[in-house]
Amino acid sequence: MKKGMKDKMKREIAFLLAGVMMLGLTACGKGGSGNDSQAQKEFYYLPEYKELQMDVNYISNILPQGDVLFLIGFSWNEETEESTGKMYRYDLISDTCEEMILPLPENASVQNAVIDSEENLLMIVNRYEEIAGDTMTEDEDTEESYENVEYENYVELWQISGQDAAMISRTDIKSVFDDPDNSYVQNMTIDSKDTIYFSDGNSNIYLMDKNGNKLGKIETGTDWIDALFATKEGDVYLKTWGETGQEIKQVRPDSKSIGEAVKSDNIKGTGYNQNYYTGLEKGVLISDSNGVFAYDFENDTREYFFDWLDADLNSDDVEIMGAMSDGRFFVILHEYTEDKTEYSLVLLKKTPASEVPEKEEIVFGAMWLDQDMRKNIIDFNKSSNEYHISVKTYDTDDYNAGLTQFNNDITSGNGPDIIDISNLDYKQYASKGVFEDLNSYMERDNIKKEDYLENVFEAYEVEGRLYAVIPQFYINTTVAKTSKVGDATGWTLSEMLDFVESSEAENVFRYGSRDSIFYYCIYNNIDEFIDWETGECSFNSDDFIRVLTFAAKFPEEPDYNDTGEGISSLLRSDKLLLMQTSLSSVQEYQMYNGLFGEKVSYIGFPNSERKGNLIQPAGGSVALNAKSKHKDGAWEFIKVLISDEYQQSLVKEHGGWGFPIKKSALDKQFEIDMTPDYYEDENGEKVEQPKTSWGYDDFDMDIYAATQEEVDAVKKIIDSAEICAGLVNEELTNIITEETAPFFKGQKTAKETADIIQNRIQIYVKENS
Amino acid sequence: MGFRNRKAGNGIKGNKGSKLNRQVRKGKKISWGYLFPSLAGVLLFFVLPFLVVIYYSLVDNPINREFVFLDNFVRVATNKAFQQAAFNTLKFSVVAVPLAVILSLLLAMMLDYKIPFRSQFRTAFLSPMMVPVASIILIWQVLFHYNGIVNDFIGLFGADKIDWLKSSHAQVVIVILFLWKNLGYNMILFMAALGSIPKDILEVAILESATPFQIFWHIKIRYLSSTILFVTIMSLINSFKVFREIYLLTGNYPYDTIYMMQHFMNNAFAQLDYQKLSAAAIMMSIVMVIIIGILFLTENYFGRDVEG
Repeated sequence: MKKGMKDKMKREIAFLLAGVMMLGLTACGKGGSGNDSQAQKEFYYLPEYKELQMDVNYISNILPQGDVLFLIGFSWNEETEESTGKMYRYDLISDTCEEMILPLPENASVQNAVIDSEENLLMIVNRYEEIAGDTMTEDEDTEESYENVEYENYVELWQISGQDAAMISRTDIKSVFDDPDNSYVQNMTIDSKDTIYFSDGNSNIYLMDKNGNKLGKIETGTDWIDALFATKEGDVYLKTWGETGQEIKQVRPDSKSIGEAVKSDNIKGTGYNQNYYTGLEKGVLISDSNGVFAYDFENDTREYFFDWLDADLNSDDVEIMGAMSDGRFFVILHEYTEDKTEYSLVLLKKTPASEVPEKEEIVFGAMWLDQDMRKNIIDFNKSSNEYHISVKTYDTDDYNAGLTQFNNDITSGNGPDIIDISNLDYKQYASKGVFEDLNSYMERDNIKKEDYLENVFEAYEVEGRLYAVIPQFYINTTVAKTSKVGDATGWTLSEMLDFVESSEAENVFRYGSRDSIFYYCIYNNIDEFIDWETGECSFNSDDFIRVLTFAAKFPEEPDYNDTGEGISSLLRSDKLLLMQTSLSSVQEYQMYNGLFGEKVSYIGFPNSERKGNLIQPAGGSVALNAKSKHKDGAWEFIKVLISDEYQQSLVKEHGGWGFPIKKSALDKQFEIDMTPDYYEDENGEKVEQPKTSWGYDDFDMDIYAATQEEVDAVKKIIDSAEICAGLVNEELTNIITEETAPFFKGQKTAKETADIIQNRIQIYVKENS
Repeated sequence: MGFRNRKAGNGIKGNKGSKLNRQVRKGKKISWGYLFPSLAGVLLFFVLPFLVVIYYSLVDNPINREFVFLDNFVRVATNKAFQQAAFNTLKFSVVAVPLAVILSLLLAMMLDYKIPFRSQFRTAFLSPMMVPVASIILIWQVLFHYNGIVNDFIGLFGADKIDWLKSSHAQVVIVILFLWKNLGYNMILFMAALGSIPKDILEVAILESATPFQIFWHIKIRYLSSTILFVTIMSLINSFKVFREIYLLTGNYPYDTIYMMQHFMNNAFAQLDYQKLSAAAIMMSIVMVIIIGILFLTENYFGRDVEG
């Protein structure tokens, strides 16, 4: 009986253990895969836009103190031509704003400012005073007249009342700096004991009390202090860049030293551009390009709050942010438009997901998110009542790890609905049916291809199927004097080599290197060496051997310490023959003619069919996932990018960063480019003035309205572009880089090297043909 | 009567039998319970992935997943890279596996005699097994790199440098690497097998004036047949695994003479061509099954009279 019980117990334990084992197996898939942002999706932070009632032209400092914002700015009076310093005390809870006049004269500017524990402002002010020199008259408005005037510069610590902007004290602090003549303040913060910390351009940190008395100096030993910030507990930390990347170190005022870097992943964000603000209850609030989280230094814990995109805010526009005592967050946005900059205040309120209007969720996937695309997504989210786009980026430190993750998502059917193909080998994915043919969607919505630059669409077509759309583009090209290369818009590799071999290597490209030659001659022209249909390649051809020999004349790394002669001078005197560059506007075309001093040709990269001007997307390139469950919503977003409204918005007064793909928008752009700008002279007569000006190295040029001939030339270049700039296959570049190394060291002949490259790449081609 | 008796007897046995049956059934249940974790593991980690591989081999690609029946097999079989990989792998196995078996058997027999430094030799041959792959690669690179020790050595005799890993010599280097790494393990297996041959048979053979060759061929080889089969199968499997060393030495796309089946499959995986990878894997496994089947038949034929 006893034995029986024992056996039974053994059996039960065995079953129990087996069960636990199986549970362990089945539980593998769940834990740990979620990230901070996903965990927070029970709540959203909804934006409430507030008007910043400020009468200023420029805001120099924004200083949060609890629920109060202090804003320092300047207003310019056109009539009196005087500037007035103003301080605004904005109570975020009561939504009241108080304007105060700062006793800040025109000859003074605020370098940096903090708020002390008594809510007074401590500002480091630069002030100058004229001490001698000639008096300026109206016709002496020249540089020479200024040079005769002498100034005395002052660096002062101003203590200003936070209640009424009255001056409390003013102390000269020039002596605090090691070099009083170089009193630049890069970062500034204040701890709980009202000790001011500020760093100079040499990464020294100075400690000072609020009366301007120097308390010490800390040599940080770093090259660059990226940020200096205080925690809620009153400790001060600096952010710098070390061997392992971003490093956060404590500043120790007592021992005048810097602590070890905080070794925790919790303080690391997932995005770039981290900013630090004093925490509400503990630690520090960290904002990066993706979202906002709090970090507690004492307990090494973090709490993720929200993604900027979920709040429909563009992190690129965030000037400053902070937490409020009622649980909300305030954000000051600083948006740059073509003509002016605008500030706005947004309050973010935590709202349960159940109270947020339900929208169909669309995922936008990218290796990393283009800035224009980020803005487009936010605008779409704001305007759509039906769809909401969230972003999934694969931007890990290791590109291949990100790519593997993307591939896994695609093969498992969990790929993003919209895919930015900018950094992907899109033809490979297209051949596997990853992307939807967008032609049918365009036909369905009666979007006529003939209204667009068809060559741009065709560049993204594979066997008649349109797999991607780009809203705007520029041309990747090579420029040379027409007198040297003729009027062609393309050349073959042989023609290019014939041209360059007749000149000295250092005269071909500025900052040329072996790698850049391979990119120029081979990688952007890889199809010249590979016939995918027959599965044959020709890396042992005479042309390839010529490229090897030509590349060997260049240094391994570009030599940036050249003679210092300006590029325009080099080009004009034929000391430099080719210039690899891009063309994104008519103004740029005009500039290159000026830079070379004569008419230029956009000959492009070598190409067997002389089609070497490449289409490069500006502002992302999007494809629709064929396995998406939200194709209609995804198409709605893609449609916005080629809509008339958006395409017209790309038309810029002074030339944009790319050409719109819609013909009507491009024509509008050309029309603006050809319309002269005028000003009225003292006699009331219209005089043409420059539309813009371009500077390039040693060359400056005022750009006037373009001629029809110039616009036609740009059109011709755009029409000549039929191939999109693609990613160069890493396998091929690796093989070529590896095998050419012994050749460049003189250990192997060009022929031997070419034969080995041919042998290895042939396998790759056989595999993929 | 007899019938009745038998029936009655059955009745008595029936009670006992049903109790026994219950126990057997209970025992079976318990056995299945104990078997379940490992069975589930085998199903989950071996059978299921194999079914997934079969599934992928029948669809056009892992994203579209359109059924294409045997198209992938035809495409893979006619792919020149696959043909080259298959030929190289076969050539390597045909050369390296018999060498690995014969040389290790010779070494084992040599060390079976009481030669001086026997134990030191044994340790020396076993030591490659203890060296991590990364270190092996490092050693081989130092030896066979274009500027490596071997080229320096032959340079002393006025010979030109040879690009060992990027020329037709590459397969020789890989065969040497394979032998260097595997001989020790095979040798130990053979030494153990040699030690287990009954001494009385060997003594009788000596008394009967059998020649050493007769003893070797008619007795030792017979008794070693199962070990030879095992060593051959292990060497064959290891010959496929030599990809790891080649990959670390020369990357995804090596010189064509050392481009192996696993290169083809590895590269297909990286390019999301799971269908090509799966079709190639299935074809390779079929060939492996046939080869191992032939080996079993051979072993059965040669070793049938010594097994009991």
